[in-house]
Amino acid sequence: MSHSLNEIEAMSKRAARGAGLSWGLAEEAAKGTRWLSSFGFPGTELLANLLQLNDRIPPIDVSPVSLRADIWHAPARRMSPLIAGAALSDCAVRLLERGRIEMVNVSVPMLAVPFMGGAALRLGVPVAVEWDGVRLATDGKQLCVQGDAAALQSAQADRVLFCAPAEMTGRREPVMRANVSEESWERLGVFAHRTYAPATEESRLRGAGAGLSDND
Amino acid sequence: MSDIARRDPNLVMRLARLGSIHQSRLSFMRVLTRRLAREGWTFEQTAFEVDDNGEGHAVYTAHGPDRAYSLIAYAHDLPAEKRSDRVIAEAWDATFTLFDGVPTADDIERLSHNIPVQEAGRVSGTELSVSRANRSVRLWEHVVSELAAGRQPSAEQIDAVGYLMRTTAVYGSGKLGAADREMIADRPEFRAPFQVEMLSVFLTRWFVRDLVQHMANRRAAANGTNVASLSPELARSMGIGNSTGLGMAPFLLNHPVLFNNWVAARENAIQAVRSLQAAGEDEVALFLSLIERSKITIAGWHSEHKIQLEKLHGLRADVEKVADYLTKNDLSGPRPWDALYVWAENALSLEGQEWIASLILEPYGALVDGFADDMAADNTATFRIAGAMTIGELRALLKDIYVWAIDTDWVAPENKARAWYVSEEKLEPRLGERFEEPIEEYEQPLAPGRDAARLYAALEHWPDEAQVAEFILRHPEHRHVLRRAQIVGRAPYAEIRDNTISDQVLPIDMLRCKLAFFGATQFDPRSDRWVRICMYGNAPFPTELTTENADFWVFPTHTGASS
Repeated sequence: MSHSLNEIEAMSKRAARGAGLSWGLAEEAAKGTRWLSSFGFPGTELLANLLQLNDRIPPIDVSPVSLRADIWHAPARRMSPLIAGAALSDCAVRLLERGRIEMVNVSVPMLAVPFMGGAALRLGVPVAVEWDGVRLATDGKQLCVQGDAAALQSAQADRVLFCAPAEMTGRREPVMRANVSEESWERLGVFAHRTYAPATEESRLRGAGAGLSDND
Repeated sequence: MSDIARRDPNLVMRLARLGSIHQSRLSFMRVLTRRLAREGWTFEQTAFEVDDNGEGHAVYTAHGPDRAYSLIAYAHDLPAEKRSDRVIAEAWDATFTLFDGVPTADDIERLSHNIPVQEAGRVSGTELSVSRANRSVRLWEHVVSELAAGRQPSAEQIDAVGYLMRTTAVYGSGKLGAADREMIADRPEFRAPFQVEMLSVFLTRWFVRDLVQHMANRRAAANGTNVASLSPELARSMGIGNSTGLGMAPFLLNHPVLFNNWVAARENAIQAVRSLQAAGEDEVALFLSLIERSKITIAGWHSEHKIQLEKLHGLRADVEKVADYLTKNDLSGPRPWDALYVWAENALSLEGQEWIASLILEPYGALVDGFADDMAADNTATFRIAGAMTIGELRALLKDIYVWAIDTDWVAPENKARAWYVSEEKLEPRLGERFEEPIEEYEQPLAPGRDAARLYAALEHWPDEAQVAEFILRHPEHRHVLRRAQIVGRAPYAEIRDNTISDQVLPIDMLRCKLAFFGATQFDPRSDRWVRICMYGNAPFPTELTTENADFWVFPTHTGASS
């Protein structure tokens, strides 16, 4: 079904929060899923896969141990692409100074790609990433994609290498609508549902602010 | 003479003041009507297929220089017991969508299965908004029965309500599958915020006038009486009501850059007018005439709510004080607008201060209207966290923006008595009692003051020279409010500098602020968390719009048209 990008962002934020991410990271997950969807990638499926994998685990276990290390790795031997991606965006200046940041054992690496867009906009130069024969580059506005669909959507990459500045070859423009699989939407919906307070008569009356008549 | 500074965010961004803001030249309704008139938009009703029971549809098309937009209205025969303004309602007297272009019969048919059920339906990228409205039971029947009997309805009764229908939600920007704002934001007519929604309501008011006349015609035909045609003056005196609840309150918190741009535009305009060295004769005459016309609005402003009654009492006293000031000061001195504003800030209630702050902009369209071009926002650049910022810099930023929050005792129950959450039904925001209801685990991030104070405390043992990227990697729970603080560092009016979860918080302050930027008048709170307002009262109808009447319609020229 065709969805607006705002719907995708809103659902993704609630789902990520429902899976235990902090609000700030849930916002990053939502912007990233929206961004991937706008380039025709199955953002909601990838996000649902990651949320199922890391459902309610402590974030520190799947976070980079140190931002200063030559190779970023996570204590649990699997890195969240959302946390690592957000850290990469936070460290955009460092990426340009070092020229490259390497990460190992990254889950659903595609979900880290939108953060390159943020980093590229901040730095004013394109940023690229490579894993398993895949190469993507972005200047924040357009995306260059090389690699087969299976590798792009892989569940885990042993080694992911981010580089800046990078070359842009074969540009893809974002679109304004996205087709979302019902199955992924429902999976996200289950996570999102955890963030909703069960309705009670009290909340219906008091929480929504009953007062004077609304039918006069 | 020293420069006039913009008003301090620590003064402006308090809830009590935001909850006292009045519409201005920069309000979105007035931005729209000025543009429609300036560009010579034309309007036509292209369908009106409504039966004797008031069921059917109508289409109203607005033709602009480059594009056309159509309001498709579905009219329903709603049983009285189903009529509710609350978001939990499932049926309405009328439902609407603003269509991008001119709809085909297939579009009207497709949408007839989706628009009448609102949140239970799906729309597509050719639909720009989805909305619904209910009749004012009091006024609707009066107007239909009087017209059907060949008489004009009573001006007093019209003034007591102000509108024949009130909208209970106007959804835009991707909701229910509609077009995202990004799809249309580069069109000049939609560059200013909420122009889709304001155009939808402007056309809705026309449909409602046609519908009430139609129903009177059908009743007169059934009764064998001669129907009266609603007088243009009475029709113009009526706006469209709106009933707004908590769904709107978190908007200002969830769109900090956009909110900053609205407030900054108005503050820039106030600063520009206060900085004028002298006032011309024409400007003074216009200002004095609008003071008089404002008095009609203020005199006819009804509310039964205790808080608003107190505020109105203060505002009415302020009107007298302003009249007295203006008899002693003819605005011929140096910097007359600044002198008036500074006097107001010391002499008047918050309602009165913000009334004057908006009103001094009126004579200076050429000077201030351009600020409306800066009221939209693209969040892309401000969303990213600047990880290279040092902890020392972050600490200083927090102390500047959130000093009130850092000084608040967040252990005291009264300071965090409430919690914002999203209910399972209709996924709407609600406000609950943290210590009385099982809601805390569902709390939304809508208490930036408390969260900023927590962040400030968490930084205590970190050295000044460390970078926030290192801190936030260890403490992802602070990522949301850290982002906010950095946004407010660049956009000083982005944050409500007040406690949004205390036992004293009034969500209607947030609603009032947003609705005043829309251009609403006649704020009538119905509890501390929902409010009724009037939109487009006294405005010309689309086909009456000219460059002469497109601007000052919000100020009534005579009593009997005060709503």
